[in-house]
This record gives sequence, structure tokens and C-alpha cells, in this order.
Amino acid sequence: MSNKVACSHCHLEFSQDVMIIEDDNYFCCNGCQGVFHLLNEEGLESFYEKSGNIKLTPPTENFEDPSSFDTKSFYEQYIKVNSDGFSEVSLIIEGIHCSACVWLNEKALHKMDGVIEANINFTNNKATIVWADNVVKLSQIIEMIRSIGYNAFAYDASTQEVHANKERKSYYLKMAVAIFSSMNIMWIAVAQYAGYFSGMSGDVKNILNIAEGILATPVLFYSGWIFFRGAYYGLKTKVVNMDLLVATGASLTYVYSIYITVLEEGEAYFDSVSMIITFVLIGKFLEVLSKKNAADTLDIMSKNIPSEIKIIKNDTVITCKLDDVVVGDIVIVSSGERVLIDGEIIKGNGSFDESSLTGESEPVYKDVGDSVVSGTTSIDADIHFEASKDFKHSTLSNLVTLLESSINKKPKIQQMANKLSEYFSSAILTFAFLTFVIWWIWPHSFEISFMVGISVIVIACPCALALATPVATLVGLGLGASRGILFKEAAQLETMANIDILVVDKTGTITVGKPDVIKEHIYKEFDKELLYSFVKSSNHPIARGILNYINDESLNEILLDEFTQLPALGMSSTCRGVKLLGGNKKLLNNNDIEIDFKSDNSVFYFAIDKKIVAIYELRDKVKDGAKELVDSLKTKGIETIMLTGDNEHIAKKVANEVGIKNYNFNQTPQTKAEFIEALHVERKKVVMVGDGVNDILALAQADIGIVMGSGSDIAVEVGDVVLLNDSLKSLDDAFKISRTTFSLIKQNLYISLGYNAITIPLAMAGYVIPLVAAISMSISSLLVVGNSMRIKYKWKRN
Amino acid sequence: MDSWVITMMLSVSVFLGAIALFGFLWAVKNGQFDDEKKFLSATKFDGEDELNDAVNQERKKEELKKNYKPE
Repeated sequence: MSNKVACSHCHLEFSQDVMIIEDDNYFCCNGCQGVFHLLNEEGLESFYEKSGNIKLTPPTENFEDPSSFDTKSFYEQYIKVNSDGFSEVSLIIEGIHCSACVWLNEKALHKMDGVIEANINFTNNKATIVWADNVVKLSQIIEMIRSIGYNAFAYDASTQEVHANKERKSYYLKMAVAIFSSMNIMWIAVAQYAGYFSGMSGDVKNILNIAEGILATPVLFYSGWIFFRGAYYGLKTKVVNMDLLVATGASLTYVYSIYITVLEEGEAYFDSVSMIITFVLIGKFLEVLSKKNAADTLDIMSKNIPSEIKIIKNDTVITCKLDDVVVGDIVIVSSGERVLIDGEIIKGNGSFDESSLTGESEPVYKDVGDSVVSGTTSIDADIHFEASKDFKHSTLSNLVTLLESSINKKPKIQQMANKLSEYFSSAILTFAFLTFVIWWIWPHSFEISFMVGISVIVIACPCALALATPVATLVGLGLGASRGILFKEAAQLETMANIDILVVDKTGTITVGKPDVIKEHIYKEFDKELLYSFVKSSNHPIARGILNYINDESLNEILLDEFTQLPALGMSSTCRGVKLLGGNKKLLNNNDIEIDFKSDNSVFYFAIDKKIVAIYELRDKVKDGAKELVDSLKTKGIETIMLTGDNEHIAKKVANEVGIKNYNFNQTPQTKAEFIEALHVERKKVVMVGDGVNDILALAQADIGIVMGSGSDIAVEVGDVVLLNDSLKSLDDAFKISRTTFSLIKQNLYISLGYNAITIPLAMAGYVIPLVAAISMSISSLLVVGNSMRIKYKWKRN
Repeated sequence: MDSWVITMMLSVSVFLGAIALFGFLWAVKNGQFDDEKKFLSATKFDGEDELNDAVNQERKKEELKKNYKPE
């Protein structure tokens, strides 16, 4: 064995004799060598020092012509003109491994004339580049990125994503101001309360009041601005919302406190102003934080579809736009590529992965005359096929359109607290007004009546109400996360607690999704290493299943002399002078081997020199805990229904095994979604559990879509809840957590309402002094938070 | 005398706190916390070269702004 050396650029190790040697440096390819020299010329060689020994991807050289980046249509779609008149584009940079890569890209771009700003986000590899279009063109910028060994493609920074980030940032700023001011007001308030009991001179009290007033001002008008805005929009649509209560309460209190401060008698309530705003703002922020947006999902889906396709025209292969393909065109698909257009094979054969449509991982063998469906992937087939539909009418394109409409059809469920707060807000405002009027009619001065009226609003501070839901759901989310259950949106916990029906996909959800050996029949002793090396050469799920079964440390791989995959039959090989055959019954019949063996399961026959030595029975096993899940849901009053793309026979067997009474078989992605829609028409709330592309329509449409973490990327993106460890136990946990959280939300709401039921009458009667108001306000909030923490301990004990 | 001391102490401490607050607000607005990974490894790339680069970049921008006429 020759020595392995690391490439000077990418640090990947290869044996010395294949490397390009130059002075003291070794390069694995021309690409790395080129980049290395470029960096040295540009004075960016400190990149290697900064990146340490991190392994990079060697640069590729065959890129598409970057001139397409300068076309008018591209500019219209992706390039914005910013306020200074410079062009701006959002790119995703490919090949970023470390912070030094970020540094290198930014540096290299900064060195270009005309590039004004290049900012790359290391966390998500997204870059924003600003440049002067008359000095440099985008194609040159892209070329620069490529020449240093990375690649870039444009993406449409969807307005929604930008908007969400902006909103989050504005919340950070507002909260920083609110928390800073509230904390300062609190320690001033401590002095005030101390003075209230032990007595303090009027001018000291006044100074403290003024200081509090100054600090409360930015809280009300800067941090609290969103409440004024919310109240305004609420009134416009004739809804009395919580924002209105907070806004009126806080600003009335503020005005009153200024009045007190100027008069220099009575108690100012500045601390309440800032506390109300701060608490409710935090509650609002928690809600915003846990919102996901649908636009990103569609982005991912269309990103996965290439825009170009290879077709044959006049005996030459040309690349053309996907939309330009017409019915009758000859399309080329090589192994590993995705079929993008529906059609019929005219040349070639091989197996296809149709799991995106059927959910079954078993490859399907196709030959001339068979139809291929877009969305499936060729595993080993190099074929030519005739397009029978254009892209717009092909299955894949339909899926995207359907997904879009499914996401829009998802029912919107209003959260309980929001519904409640409408009534609550109008009730409190009415109470406060009535109190004021009654006190005034009953002979009292305006000041006293006004103060009592305000104390009703202050005491009814919706802090506890505003915190009730977010804090409880946050605890619920935390509980889920520690068990590998990711809820993407907090509101889903509440929805999930009120579910009527659970719809599950079979393959990959109830079953493991790949065949496992359940029985082994040995007819004659043989060398296990032969079988081990034999099945290891194949990627077929059956071979993988056997490999898993027989695999142990002691087996060594033998080099096979020759190996052939026989599509739809099995495989054959010669090794050490013996002929190995492995596959299904048809393979044996083709080789004139007689066998009489019957089984319901998939069977793998293994023959050495035309003599059968072993038979393996394989089946897609049901996951652990499937039966327990169905039973446990039954006791909760949730019905379980199974949908599968498989045939009736298999569906029935699995359903019986786990105790599911209702099941539908031969389902397509569309029929699954239709099934969910039909349940919605019956006003049922549905959870859909799935893992594959074939489930995404149904997942998007269900009230809650739960996805197995090992499922396809798109499914994980579409789903609302992700089960990271794929186990059905955590599915059951997800139900438990959502129910506990929901009962917690209810408790919290009771606490805050119960607290108000006691304190509001007291306030209306005029018995509330500022200290009591402030303390009881904090206590109610603490009670709600404390109550939410309780479930954490409850769960820990279990 | 009493109230003067209290006023002084209150205003000085709140003022100092406010400076820190504005520093923080500036940093958030500036996008310094947008990218947590970059933020954490920022010390590795914070040297004289980087400062020079930033200044050059500013100069370049100003210069381009002067001669730039959007079509």
C-alpha cells in the first residue's frame, strides 16, 4: 500500500501516486490546484490557516454557462434594486463547510470591483450580495464563487420569510426596551412601597414618580405600539380584542399617573403600565416565535424540481426547458435521475423507485412499452421514453398544485384563549366604565371615581390571561422536544388534544418499511461468508434484509469473481469456482431448479451450483408498540384508520395484527387526501401520520400532519409534528403531551379568570390600593407560570 | 439635599443602563445576532485585516454611490 497524502486544497486523502505534485504541495485534481493558485494570487492564502484541516468538496469544473444569470427573465425574478439604486440578490452558496469558507467567499467577493456588500449566513448558507450593475455583472460574481470552489444558485427570498424575520427582530427590540425599563421601574417601586409604609417626604416620592414616568414612556409608546395598532385594526373590523384592553388600560393608567404626579398627591401606577405591556408582549412574542409559514414548504417542493430536461430532437440530444417539452418528444432519463414527465418507454429497461407515489420501497421493473410516471426515480435504468403529457399535466406538476391547495384547505382553529379574550376584554371595559359612572353619580369627586374605574382595569390586567396559553404550550413543546417530538407550531398542541380520528399510513409508519427475515430454513450447511458477500453486493431491499439478519463481526467479505443483477428475478454470481444464485421462484424455474415451497411472505432462495441450500422468508414487520398505540387511542376515544398503497391482502394482514378495524387499500396520494377531506366534511378533526412523498397531500390537508423523522425531506417539511425517533411510542406520547398541555391551558385560564372574579368586585368597591394591585398582578402571573411548570415534574415522575 | 442626591443617583444609573441598552439595540438592528454560528466564531476572523477590509468596503461603496446612475 502506498502512502496516503492529503490534498493541499481540499484535505481529502488519496494515495501519493495519483496526486498532482507541485513543489511541496499535492493536489487531488486540477480543480483543487486551480483554486489553490487563485487564492495565493489574490492574497487569500490565510484561508488554509483559518480552515485548519477541515475537508472540503473538490471543485467541479463542468458548470452550466453562467450567462443565464444575466438574462432579463432572471433579473425580473430574483434581483431587487435597493434604496441606493444598487442591485441585490439572494443566493444559496453550496459547499460551505466551516466559518473559513464563509470568510473566503466574503473576502473574494469584496475584492471584486463593484461588489458593495457580500454577507453570508453561516447557519443556513444563504447570502445577500449587493453590487453596482454597471461595473460588474451577476454572472461574473457567480463565476468568482465557482472559481474558488463553491457553487451558488439564486433563490427567491420569499416575502413571507423576510417578513417573519423582520417581525421577530422588531419584537426583540421592543422586548429589550420593555424589560430594561420594567426592571428599573421595579427597583424604584420597591423604594416607593417601602415609603408607603414607613413614610417618606413628598418631594422624594415625587422624584421617584417622575423617574418611573420617564422610564414607562418608551415602554408604552415604543414597546406597546403593537397593542395600539392591534386595537385599531380590531376596531376597524368591529372586534374587541385583548389589544384594545391592554392599550386602553395602559394608556389610561399612564395619563392618570401623570395627573397624580403633577398634582403631587395620591399614588401613581407607572409600574403597572410597564408591567402589563412587558408581560403581554412576552406572551405575544412566544406566539410569534412558534409560527411556521406555509410559503417555505412550497419553496422546498419546487426547489426539488430541476428546470431543465434532456430530449432528443433530430437525432441529437439537446437540453431544453421543462415547460417546452410537448407530447411526443423523446426524453432521456439516466440511472439515478428523476422522471419529470409522464410517458411510455421506447428504449431501455430497469427498475424504478416509485415510493413517492405508492409508499412502497420495493423497486418496480419496467421495460419497453411500460409507462413511466413523473415523480418516480430511476434506480438503474437508462431509458428513452416518449412524453405522453406535457409538464403542466404530468403527475409531478399536479402534485405540486394539489399540495398548494391542500395547504390552503387546512382548517384554521381559533385558540381558546383568543376566543375567550374577546369576551373578557369587552366585559372588563364595560365594568370599568360602569364603575366610574356609578361612583360619579353616587356623590364622589371626578378624581376618585376615575381612579376607582382605572383600578378595575389595572387589577383585571390580562397578564395572566395573555401568559396562560403561551407558557403552557412552551412547556408542552419542551416536553415533546426532550422525547424527540417536534411540534412546529405551538397552537398544534391545542388542536391535537381535540382530535377525533387518527389516519395512519402503513409502510414506514405502522411497519418498519423494509423487509426483515422472519424465518430461516437451512437445507445444507454452507459457508456463510459466501452469502454475506453475495447479498452485500446488492442494494435490493430483500438483500439488505438478509444482510441485516446474517451480519455479524466474524464474517469477512470475499471478493466475488463476477456479479449480475437480474431485474425482477434476483442475482447471480460466481465465486471460488461455484455458481451462486439468489432470488425468487421465477429465477429458480429459469435455471431448471425444482422446488416445492409455499409461503405468504417474500421468499429468497439461495442456491449453490443449482442446489438449494437455504430459504429465507422475509416480511415487512410491524413496529413495536403498534398494537399498544391503537389500544391506548381507543381508550381515549380516538378511532384509527389505516390507508395504504398496498393490496388488500397485505393491508388486511397488517390491520389484523395491530387491531385496526377500518383500512383502505390501493390508495394513491390523491385518494388519501380526498379521504381526509371527506372526514373534514363530517366535521371530524383528523391527525394524519405518514412518512413518504405519497402522504404529503394528506399530511398537508389534515388538521395535524405527523411525520416520521426518517421520512422524505418534503414530508418532514410539510408535516406539523415530526417524530425524530420514528417510534410509535412517541406518537402515543405526542397525544399524551398535547392532552396534558391542553388541560393545563384550561387550568391556567381558570386561574386567571378566578383571580379576576375575586379582585374585580373588590376593585369596583374601591378597596384596592396600588400595592395590592401590583402584588396581586404579579402573583396571578406567577401562579400561571408555576402551574405550567408543574407538569414537567409530573412527567418526570412517570 | 436629600432629594438632590436621589435625583443624581437615579439619573446617572439609568443613564448608564440606557447606554448599554442602546448598544444592544444597535447590535440587534445591525444584524450581529442574526447568524449564531458566525457570531460564535467571529473572534477567529476579527483582526487588522478585517477592519481594513471593512473600511475599504465602505470607501468603495461611497465612491460607487457618487458615480452610480441607475439605468
